[in-house]
Amino acid sequence: MNDKTILVVDDDMDLLEMVESIFERAGFTNILTAVSGREAIKVWKDQQPDLIILDIMMPGLDGLSILKEIRETSNIPVLLLTARGEAEDRVTGFESGADDYLVKPFHPKELLLRVKVILNRAYPQKNRKIYLESAVVDLEKAEVQRGSHQFPLTGKELTLLEKLFENAGRIVTTGSLCGAVCGEFWQGYESTLSTHIRHLREKIEDNPSKPVSLVTYKGVGYRLNIKGAK
Amino acid sequence: MNSAERFFRRYIFSTIGIIALFLAVNLLLVGIFFMIAYLNGVADSNFPIEDFSNHITVKNEELTAGTQALETLRNADAWAMILDDNGTVIWEDGLPKELPREYTATDIAMFSRWYLDDYPVNIWKRPDGLLVIGFTPGSVFNHYISTSTAYIWPLCIGIGIAFIINIFLMIYLFLRNAYQIEKSMEPILNGIQSLSQGKAFCLEEKGELAEINAGLNSAGKYLMNKDNTRAEWIRGISHDIRTPLSIILGYACEIEDNASLPLSTRKQAKAIQQKSEKLRTLIADLNLSTKLEYSMYPAKKQTINIIELTRQVASEFLNELPEQYEIEIAEDRPGYPIFLNGDGPLLYRMLSNLIGNSITHNPDGCQISVCVGLNVDTCFFDIRDTGFGIDDRRMILLNRGTLISSTREEGNGAEHGFGLKIVQQIVKAHDGKIYFSSIEPHGLSVKIELPAVSQRGTFSQIH
Repeated sequence: MNDKTILVVDDDMDLLEMVESIFERAGFTNILTAVSGREAIKVWKDQQPDLIILDIMMPGLDGLSILKEIRETSNIPVLLLTARGEAEDRVTGFESGADDYLVKPFHPKELLLRVKVILNRAYPQKNRKIYLESAVVDLEKAEVQRGSHQFPLTGKELTLLEKLFENAGRIVTTGSLCGAVCGEFWQGYESTLSTHIRHLREKIEDNPSKPVSLVTYKGVGYRLNIKGAK
Repeated sequence: MNSAERFFRRYIFSTIGIIALFLAVNLLLVGIFFMIAYLNGVADSNFPIEDFSNHITVKNEELTAGTQALETLRNADAWAMILDDNGTVIWEDGLPKELPREYTATDIAMFSRWYLDDYPVNIWKRPDGLLVIGFTPGSVFNHYISTSTAYIWPLCIGIGIAFIINIFLMIYLFLRNAYQIEKSMEPILNGIQSLSQGKAFCLEEKGELAEINAGLNSAGKYLMNKDNTRAEWIRGISHDIRTPLSIILGYACEIEDNASLPLSTRKQAKAIQQKSEKLRTLIADLNLSTKLEYSMYPAKKQTINIIELTRQVASEFLNELPEQYEIEIAEDRPGYPIFLNGDGPLLYRMLSNLIGNSITHNPDGCQISVCVGLNVDTCFFDIRDTGFGIDDRRMILLNRGTLISSTREEGNGAEHGFGLKIVQQIVKAHDGKIYFSSIEPHGLSVKIELPAVSQRGTFSQIH
């Protein structure tokens, strides 16, 4: 993932240097920068980056205009990084085609996390596997390997695991998991979700009644604890 | 009924009361006048003629008036005479010389009703004739009414009806005028109310009160511009701070994470990072609080499952929760969603601020519980912690709705932000109520009630 090329666009040189530094320390080697809208368009066309981090308010061609121009021909992931934090600004950003929106001032770790999530979603790795305490989940094959046993995953179980894996180490609310399976109108699905979770635990945990990989947070949701992911 | 309507209703009732009082007082005054007149004999224009007549007696075949009677006659500045059946004066006292001593039946008939040569007279029938008392000209007004009885009753009834019609007409005209005044005053009063609440308004600048309306419109515009300018200024400042603060925060984090640097340098970087994050929160809070205060926050209310929103807030805290804290979520009706019509990000901020408040003000740790439920058509939250709680003085202020400003506490130097102020503003923006109370043995309970959406309709619709 660290070999992906990221273009950072902002009219503030100091901020560009800082963001570049954050990514370089995190292991990203291909960081491009642009200080104006025109330059951003040129770099995007010439270098074809894998992700663009774009400021909105810039002299000349602003971020939203750049995004609209990009979206005419490309689906490249774009994260808007801006000082405009109002709800309506976010809505405008997403309507213009942004994949994510982060408001300044931001925590470097949050920026890195968001970028990684976007890259994982946009460029899914082949042979994705989740290494858990007692099992290994092969997301491509939709299969769990626990000891010498192999368990196939149903479509819904796979969706749930992918959602939990996207947010590994963090709690995913019951509603978000239900939403991942059923879409917008998930109300009433919670009891079915607990059945799926029970079935998943039977496949990935040594002792499903004392889970260590798929942990419940009562009244809130679930967390997937991974041993390592490739 | 708004305050303007209340004012005019009160005005109408008080005016009707004033009219009734006015009539009652006048009737009373007239009554008192007649009573005094009766008691003092003022109303009786007639000389005490019967009494006087009784004091004229025959002595030695001559008519003689008693001393007391004569004194009464003198006091009344009057004269007296007695006519026999032939109209001849058989007794007199003080009778003016110019007056005749004999009268015909016609003369007697004429002066008995009116005047005797301009002298107003009273008459009294005696066994021996007719007693006539005459007064100084102009001292007594004689009147004579002769009306058909068939006319008197309709006249009395007519006067009564005319009086009642007049009263009703007066009340109708008064109510009509009051209504017209109310109609023209109500927009002005509503405008003043909007002005006091900082809401936008525009009054029609025509009619007799056009100048007042125009004045209020200018005052409203002036205040709104002032509020907008202030809010925009705060927004601009907070916006301009964001990029430099990003750089400070970013580099501070990098320095802190750089293991090759001395520990003291990394500690300093951590302090810079923590303060930068506090500044970041303050900027966001200041911006939001200003917008809520000036009603500039866009009302983007939508149906929200408040149970899921509470889970999201709790999960954010649980992901980074230090060991000394515990957060529990309890649902009043497990498995059932609760919907309300609100602004999702604002409600998220409300719960987030309350949980964050419990964490910030209890550095030694505490248990935090969030209970969400439904009571008929009200969604309630009860956020409790087992921390230090709030002292009684602040508790009273909070429950009074006195907004807390972001200032340093008096005396102890502890600093607090916009957290609770924003919570109160958000609850107010959702037409809800908030109550603060202490819990035993120590801790704080914050109860919030917000109007819920009809659960049955929404739930069945989604299914």
